[in-house]
Amino acid sequence: MRVLAFIIVCLTGALLLYGTGEFPDWGDPQSPASVHLSNVYIEKALEQTQVPNLVTAVLADYRGFDTMFETAVVFCAGLACFLLLRDFREKKERYYRHTPTGVILHVKDSKKIIKVGKEFAHMDKNWVPSDLIIKSVCRILIPFIQIYALYVVAHGDFSPGGGFQGGVIFGSSLILLAISYDLKTLVRRIKEKVLGIWAAVGVLIYVGIAAICMPMGGNFLDYSVLAPLVWDPHHVRALGMLGVEIGVGIAVTAVMAIIYINIVSEGRHEEGL
Amino acid sequence: MNILVILFLVIGVFFFLGGAIGIMRMPDFYSRLHPAGKLDTLGILAMVMGLAIYNLHHFSYEALLLSLKMFLIVFFVFLSSPTATHSIVDAGMRAGLRHWTKKKGKG
Repeated sequence: MRVLAFIIVCLTGALLLYGTGEFPDWGDPQSPASVHLSNVYIEKALEQTQVPNLVTAVLADYRGFDTMFETAVVFCAGLACFLLLRDFREKKERYYRHTPTGVILHVKDSKKIIKVGKEFAHMDKNWVPSDLIIKSVCRILIPFIQIYALYVVAHGDFSPGGGFQGGVIFGSSLILLAISYDLKTLVRRIKEKVLGIWAAVGVLIYVGIAAICMPMGGNFLDYSVLAPLVWDPHHVRALGMLGVEIGVGIAVTAVMAIIYINIVSEGRHEEGL
Repeated sequence: MNILVILFLVIGVFFFLGGAIGIMRMPDFYSRLHPAGKLDTLGILAMVMGLAIYNLHHFSYEALLLSLKMFLIVFFVFLSSPTATHSIVDAGMRAGLRHWTKKKGKG
């Protein structure tokens, strides 16, 4: 089985390499992309889409299909991480700390579960005393990072930014929470199920906006037919892009958190870093 | 006005240069973090102060807003840079890295 997989991977790689041989040289001024495509984008993008940011116009409108499947790829990455790493077996040994005295209990029997509350606290095996400075600074910073992430998503069609970047920034704020406190804090605040659902919802928002265009009488991903639905028909394409960017942002955020949690805790979602 | 801008920028460059030389010249990990963490904050403060004043050349509401946003950068760097240095040193101590001493044979 492993040999078969290896052969398939090698064949796919060879095919891809063979395919790149047909490409024009990188930066070739005579290539079709430079001769025809770029000029059309640069000249027509503003009047066709009413979006001042050319990059977003190309990314989310002209090449909407590409971006849609990119989002699907991100979703698949999260899914693969979950399927490969997630380990539902209970951990055999647990450590608890008696809060008033600081005594550490090592429970080897997995059936004995000590209630965690005021008296006992969970403890990771390689436990590091929580640092007050780092904790409080991260508590101050995390909301600002999240607001900035929303700003980046919302301004995707006017200034540099967009769903992918905003989603990564938002995801990094969640990771910062896990690093400065511990993994349990993050997992307790955002359940695994919620993360999975959000990742799927993000992709669904993108595909949904694209699919609504069809019953409205346009092509798949043709935002212009959505004009009756929005409050500002003149900027309908910009608003459609904003919609799909929000979807991308949600998906990327959730996938970032899923990947991080699964990798650092070896799939057990209990302790790690 | 311009003199003030140049003065601030020169101060900023001076501190950044000092920090860079410090990072190159200091003998070990912990003492290298010292210039990296400390001089960066003051260097950034001076640099951004100069740029913010330069930005106010043609005074308007937008320019003022932009200058205030620049100071937000300083604010966040002031918060995060010392914390990052602190946590790096903390992690180094926990991992068991010995600090540098003048005696031979200790690294």
